[in-house]
Amino acid sequence: MGNKHVNAIIVGAGAGGGVVAKELSVAGLSVVLFERGGWATYDDTDTDELISQRTTVLGNAYGPDDQRYRRVMANPDGSTKIVLPSEGGYSNNAACVGSGTVSYGAMAWRYMEEDFKLKTTYGPIEGSTLEDWPITYEDLEPCYEKAEWELGVAGDDSLNPFAAPRRKPQPMPPFSHNREAQMLHDAALRLGFHPFPIPMLRNSVPYGGRPACYRMRTCVGFACPVNAKAGTHNTVIPVALQSGNCELRTNTVVSEIIVNEQGKITGVTYFDEKNRKQVQTADLIIISASATETARLLLNSKSKFFPKGIGNDNGWVGRNLQGHAYTGAYGIFDEEVYDDLGPGASVAICDFNHHNKGIMGGGLLANEFIRMPYLFSNIRPPGAARWGAEHKLFQRLNFKKVAQVAGPYQEIPNFEARVEVDPNVVDFWGIPVVRLSGSRHEKDVEGCKLMSEKAELWLKEAGAVYTWQSVGGKGLSGGQHQAGTCRMGNDPKTSVTDKYGRIHAVPNLFVADGSLHVNNGGFNPALTIMALGYRVGGYIASEWLKGNRFK
Amino acid sequence: MDKQNKFSRRRFITLSLVATGGMCLLSRCVNPPLSSWRFLTGQESVLLDALVEQIIPADEWPGGRDAGVTNFIDKQLVGPYTRYQESYRKGLHAIQETCKTKFQKQFENLSWEEQTQFLKKMEAGKMEGKAWKKGFDREFFELIRNHAMQGFYGSPRHGGNKNNVSYKMMALDYPVIIGQNRYKK
Amino acid sequence: MTINRIYKISLLSLAILIGIFIVSFGTFYTYWNTASADKTCASCHEIQNSVHSQAQSSHRNLKCNECHGTALSNGLHSMREKGMMVIKHMNIKSDENILISEEQLLEVLNNCKRCHSSEFADWSSGGHSIDYEHVFLNPKHNSTEQINFDCLRCHGMFFKGTVNDIVEPLNIKGPWKLKDITRATMPAIPCMACHQIHQDGSPHKRPDYSGPKSIFYQKQDTGFVVGFYDRHEKVHVPITQLPRLYLKEGERPVKIADDPIMRNCVQCHAPNAAHQAGTNDDRTPRGVHEGLSCTACHELHSNNSKNSCISCHPAISNCKLDVTKMNTSYADPKSPFNIHWVSCSDCHKGATKVKSELHRITNNLKMH
Repeated sequence: MGNKHVNAIIVGAGAGGGVVAKELSVAGLSVVLFERGGWATYDDTDTDELISQRTTVLGNAYGPDDQRYRRVMANPDGSTKIVLPSEGGYSNNAACVGSGTVSYGAMAWRYMEEDFKLKTTYGPIEGSTLEDWPITYEDLEPCYEKAEWELGVAGDDSLNPFAAPRRKPQPMPPFSHNREAQMLHDAALRLGFHPFPIPMLRNSVPYGGRPACYRMRTCVGFACPVNAKAGTHNTVIPVALQSGNCELRTNTVVSEIIVNEQGKITGVTYFDEKNRKQVQTADLIIISASATETARLLLNSKSKFFPKGIGNDNGWVGRNLQGHAYTGAYGIFDEEVYDDLGPGASVAICDFNHHNKGIMGGGLLANEFIRMPYLFSNIRPPGAARWGAEHKLFQRLNFKKVAQVAGPYQEIPNFEARVEVDPNVVDFWGIPVVRLSGSRHEKDVEGCKLMSEKAELWLKEAGAVYTWQSVGGKGLSGGQHQAGTCRMGNDPKTSVTDKYGRIHAVPNLFVADGSLHVNNGGFNPALTIMALGYRVGGYIASEWLKGNRFK
Repeated sequence: MDKQNKFSRRRFITLSLVATGGMCLLSRCVNPPLSSWRFLTGQESVLLDALVEQIIPADEWPGGRDAGVTNFIDKQLVGPYTRYQESYRKGLHAIQETCKTKFQKQFENLSWEEQTQFLKKMEAGKMEGKAWKKGFDREFFELIRNHAMQGFYGSPRHGGNKNNVSYKMMALDYPVIIGQNRYKK
Repeated sequence: MTINRIYKISLLSLAILIGIFIVSFGTFYTYWNTASADKTCASCHEIQNSVHSQAQSSHRNLKCNECHGTALSNGLHSMREKGMMVIKHMNIKSDENILISEEQLLEVLNNCKRCHSSEFADWSSGGHSIDYEHVFLNPKHNSTEQINFDCLRCHGMFFKGTVNDIVEPLNIKGPWKLKDITRATMPAIPCMACHQIHQDGSPHKRPDYSGPKSIFYQKQDTGFVVGFYDRHEKVHVPITQLPRLYLKEGERPVKIADDPIMRNCVQCHAPNAAHQAGTNDDRTPRGVHEGLSCTACHELHSNNSKNSCISCHPAISNCKLDVTKMNTSYADPKSPFNIHWVSCSDCHKGATKVKSELHRITNNLKMH
């Protein structure tokens, strides 16, 4: 028995796909939402540091698993290595309903106006595919607003003079600072910086029927024990399911997009929860599988009409892979700065996003999330003992005295940082896997260094007696902030989709995730991915209601 | 009548199955396992005890050995770290072989200082001998170091960090003392 | 008749076979349920840990089946479970952390009361014997705060699934119902929430509760029988290993009794993450009663505190007031006279001197 034809297929129930599913099903389209993982719950691994999404040494709490998934990492010298999801370099995003939004730190940033016109702001840069977005901040602003109100954001942008203009405030009051953040807040004011509480997709007061955060120390990397963190799994996806128009198929892996004899896209092939190959047809398809997996699916969908993969006529699918170079500094204080008030990160400055000499793009700086004991065992000043009595003593004396300031540095797009499919290696289902290669642009390392100096300065002013920098390097980016591989643009020769996320020259195939980002902002990208979900989903829904069937 | 017969037959079958099952169990289990470890041999466990104690020595607080770090590693080696079994077998053997050639002693019988110097050499990648080629000295040291840290600072459910010892040392309350939300109306 | 004869013979041999089986099975069954655990249950390594801990526990004189029942008394589902374990064992996928199910645990609970009848009766009369229905279907709670995963840290901690499997819907609108209606009357905080039956210890000796002094400040530490069941780690943490509460009233640190049993109480009756006194479910005594342990007033199993005032008042009272005639809003959480935080100055304006005198006395009451 074949599956019933539906209006829309969405591949991936993460930050982007969850939003699109809601937009389409509420507008009356019949939707099948594919998710490679299942429903994740706090009880799966609760507060286990070694199986979390942040420290994955014994496995990923919310997938993917080491048994069925793998990727290939290509080194600059041409050698390759197979990496498992629990190993560094895999660039993992959680495989579960809600994906990263189940276990993220939940920072709710809007990109700034400059982030949408980076080329105009900084001019062309040698060795970079830097470009302006085909849309402006103003175009995306209503979508940001929708994401903030439908999922729930706590924050107050009026305290951030660098924030882009908005029509409506964030729906919940911001969080109070913990001790470390309060010290940094005061120090920032003394330095003439402009500190403010980080906007969070986390309830500061009851919102959307979910309770307020009770400030556990385990937050980033973990699911929320009280459901205070807003992800697509506990907001928009339930709305989609309740509409009666959306069917969520968990534990299904989409392997290929089907192209018929006329060159039209008609559906997908996938493996169901029992690993049987199935077909689902639809009028249109939206891929929101993350920057690596979206590119992989397009590249794996080869046919006589699309010999290099769908959307890849000009070889741009999988190019410009970006994440964030995390850069900053650590400081040891005389007094304990740790007061166990989770999740840790609460104060930020945007003084170094744009318009700073030597820093291209830049990024926010904020105090870091609570570092759990094992993670902290790898945090030491340069030259300090890495093991033995001295190392243990440092852990005991300084765990509560170390603060970290860091931020996601906006990377300059590099055409050579890329996702391909490996010609030899396949996963459990026999699908060719992702092959990652390339590195960050050199300019990034210079900018990171300057940012780290600012972070160190800030820590010193707050009273740190010993500080050291940790500077983002040149290694290949990606990770949970992965973006850029199906860039949107007006010119089909130098981009993959149009300004609504539709693959150029393919009327019924859309992308709605971080792949669309032309550049990745100096911010955590989750809210922007959600906003793009509203943009793509909203566009499709409104066109559909007008009678457009995307043929 | 017929019903009762059927019932007793079913019960009879069940009982005999249980009895047979019990017998099988007994016959299979008369020989207790040779080592109480899962992957390690008894000798390897003594060596690993000494190694993890070097990585995390006892001070006012218990060290790696007493915190059950060896147990953690042994447990993971038949679980998520099955892929490191070969490295451990090879690496632990190589350590003992090197010690025998150089000191005519097992590693665990070296003085504390000798052990420390030995590991520093491993860390620096300066071990001699065929077994340590291609940077295996450094690689194996890093493996043990990282696994020891995980066993000592990770959750006790994985076999290490006995009685939450590292959390206590760092003055972190485990289990966490945190109350439910209470809203004032 | 030959056929008749064959019939008779086969009937006879069947009877003999059945006889032999009954005798051998009977012998086996008797042996299995009377021999020491080391020779029977623990001959399979999976439960060795439990057998060894039991052998050193205060319950060492009991046989496994006295609490756990036998394979037969637990019914077919139990035999099926054991069968699955055998299959798992043969496939060398042995699980070293076998845990009994919640249903099995509640069967054990029924056996607790055979010896601990008075404690059981006390527990039954108090708040901690609350059942699933009253915990998870309370409309006032559920419409104020969404039921969440963390509820199971202190209620239904032995339930194997998640909160999704207990109650639906998980929203604040309701109406809520239990997914499995048979859960309704099951206790949500059973004995084992605070007691590890296999915990190290000697067979129990009753503490002395004869005089007012021994009731609290000279009471001996009987802590080893109490341990908090940590649902995350799936082990009991003995109270001696539990963290001590630190608490602040504003910036002032609150003095807290060093009674290890109280460490068990505060695991659930806990303040917010900032550890501010009086927040969330914190009931730590402040004011005139600061420094007292929960157990100074609350009976351990019923948690009853009625008539506990007279244990101290007027005998050790500072102000010699007849407490029975004082403001009786002591139990109201909104009242300033709430017993957990009433202070001298609530009644006597400018009574700081008296208060410090009281603290001098309570400080000398070396809490154990």
